[in-house]
Amino acid sequence: MSIEKRMLARELKLAAARPGDIFKPMWFLMLVISMVPLALSPDSALLADIGSAMIWVATLLALLLNTEHLFQSDFSDGVLEQWLFLDRPLAWLVGLKLIVHWLFHVVPLICITPIAGLMLSVPTDVLIALLMTLVVATPALTCFSGLGAALTLGSSRSGILGVLVMMPLFVPVVILAAGVLIRATDGSEILPLIALLGAFSLVAATLVPIAVSAAIRLNIGGSN
Amino acid sequence: MSWRWFHQWGSPRWFYERAGRWQLVCGWLALILLVVGSLWGLGFAPVDYQQGNSYRIIYLHVPVAFLAQAMYAAMAVCAVVLFVWKMKLADVAMQAIAVTGLAFTVLSLVSGAVWGKPTWGTYWVWDARLTSMLILSFLYLGLIGLRAAIQDPDQAGKACGILVLVGVVNLPIIKYSVEWWNTLHQPASLKLTEKPTMPASMWVPLLVNILGYYIAAAYLVLGSMRAIVIGRERRASWVKELVGRA
Amino acid sequence: MIFEPVSLNISQVSCERDDRLLFQNLSFALSSGDILRVAGPNGAGKTTLLRMIAGLFEVQDGVITIDQEPLSDRRHQVLYIGHKPQVSRDLTVIDNLKFLTGFDEPIVKQALIDVGLRGYHDSLVKELSQGQGRRCALARLWCSEAPIWILDEPYTALDITMVDTLDLKINAHVAQGGLCLFTTHQPPQSLNFETLELGCVD
Repeated sequence: MSIEKRMLARELKLAAARPGDIFKPMWFLMLVISMVPLALSPDSALLADIGSAMIWVATLLALLLNTEHLFQSDFSDGVLEQWLFLDRPLAWLVGLKLIVHWLFHVVPLICITPIAGLMLSVPTDVLIALLMTLVVATPALTCFSGLGAALTLGSSRSGILGVLVMMPLFVPVVILAAGVLIRATDGSEILPLIALLGAFSLVAATLVPIAVSAAIRLNIGGSN
Repeated sequence: MSWRWFHQWGSPRWFYERAGRWQLVCGWLALILLVVGSLWGLGFAPVDYQQGNSYRIIYLHVPVAFLAQAMYAAMAVCAVVLFVWKMKLADVAMQAIAVTGLAFTVLSLVSGAVWGKPTWGTYWVWDARLTSMLILSFLYLGLIGLRAAIQDPDQAGKACGILVLVGVVNLPIIKYSVEWWNTLHQPASLKLTEKPTMPASMWVPLLVNILGYYIAAAYLVLGSMRAIVIGRERRASWVKELVGRA
Repeated sequence: MIFEPVSLNISQVSCERDDRLLFQNLSFALSSGDILRVAGPNGAGKTTLLRMIAGLFEVQDGVITIDQEPLSDRRHQVLYIGHKPQVSRDLTVIDNLKFLTGFDEPIVKQALIDVGLRGYHDSLVKELSQGQGRRCALARLWCSEAPIWILDEPYTALDITMVDTLDLKINAHVAQGGLCLFTTHQPPQSLNFETLELGCVD
């Protein structure tokens, strides 16, 4: 079996063994969305105005919540250091892990955002734009939060430090996505911006794993 | 570049002793420049015909805002030096600059807010430059937090180096996206009207102050670098000797 | 299986951690058939040295080569088992080993029988006892193609039968032309090894 197949098989089995990691962020997302009308007002016109932005922010937080400990158990079990003995660059293996993580832990989140959209009376065309932005933007967000997780691996009392450290780097993605949502509300062209977001994700997906692997090596070097 | 020169920079003791002298020079130079520039700018430069006297905050705000951004770039240079030449002093510089840089960022936000009240009628607006500065302060905070969380100084330094390099690549993207975001929402009523070119009597003291603040920043960075070097080398014999003498 | 002759060279390696000099200008060479026990009191740098040779800890001073080539090019010729469990708690024994070794089910199952975990292949690692977990990690030795074994405290938490089984395995490995480095506080009786004593710097 090739190393890639072994990695994928292992990641899939791990995802299946920890269903809570998939459902908890979805649960979190729905709870945050339910808080919005309670905190603001049940007026559907008002909700429709801010709904898509609220869903975006809530999805972002849910994604951060489940990416924060991406490498933690592999690191403390000592399995992560065994990756270094596989005959592949670490950045490549990290990239594979991030892809599987995105498929199994982020895509489910995106799948339930239409329900959240209905709850906040987001118009259909904005909802479609919202889904498109999430699909093209979340790979970049996943990569960056993976870097946060890797940088803080070695410190036992890091808490949500990885999230705090990476949040500022999300700014361009959030702004571009907000631009798409505003244009979708106006009914103007959104595809160029979607393409730009996709490009950002592609660049992040090729470069960030290199930084992640450097951070992992660093933490393996510092541990016993 | 001779190897001797390179070797000296790797020696904490050599640096500690030299930096003390440089610090003294920087301190006096900065003091003179800042006293001259500030007195000139605050007391003798002409009043702005649009903003009145409140414009005078630029003699603090502009240099500080310049420095806040320049220091992040300086950290990126240190990170490259750290990874390429494995020079520990670069990490010490990175640690010192992160704290000083945060201080300048906060100072520029506060001075911006103080100026915003009489000019815009409010302490805070989501102006592009203010927003970028706010995000920059979060980046600095992240670096300080990351270093504090990792026990081993070498490891903390490398982790911060990775973060700085990723940050410096993203910084221009953040800046441009924030500017674009600002045009998207059109807060035109609050926009500062384009100023006519400043007369020399206004910009010369500004230039003096910019120079003064840069040298003051060097003074602060050198001072905290010396403190960090002493802290990290506390078990070395030369530090014990030094403490014994004092 | 007989390994190609292999040599491991450690020359002038020094290590300083947290301002403490662990070892200085350490040099030795190992080749096929050698067993080396790294000994020394707690905190002498045994684990650090093994991790350095395994390429997990950066070599600050000095050079380590395998067959005159840098370590990083020969990673896959090294099998390292450290303090940590080396297996994921949430996966079954067999899934863990299939990932780590790359071998198919029959070979891995045979290895599990050899380490006395017959019938446990579908158990999750978190259901095993500590000693069984250790056996699971060590089962990799029974399906390994790496000539260089680096074992940090392999005897911890093992019962007497398993200690004997492990000794036999290490002997068989070096007889095939492999080499082995390990640390332990109870020197095994049935192995013919050299000892490197650390912790004599101060």
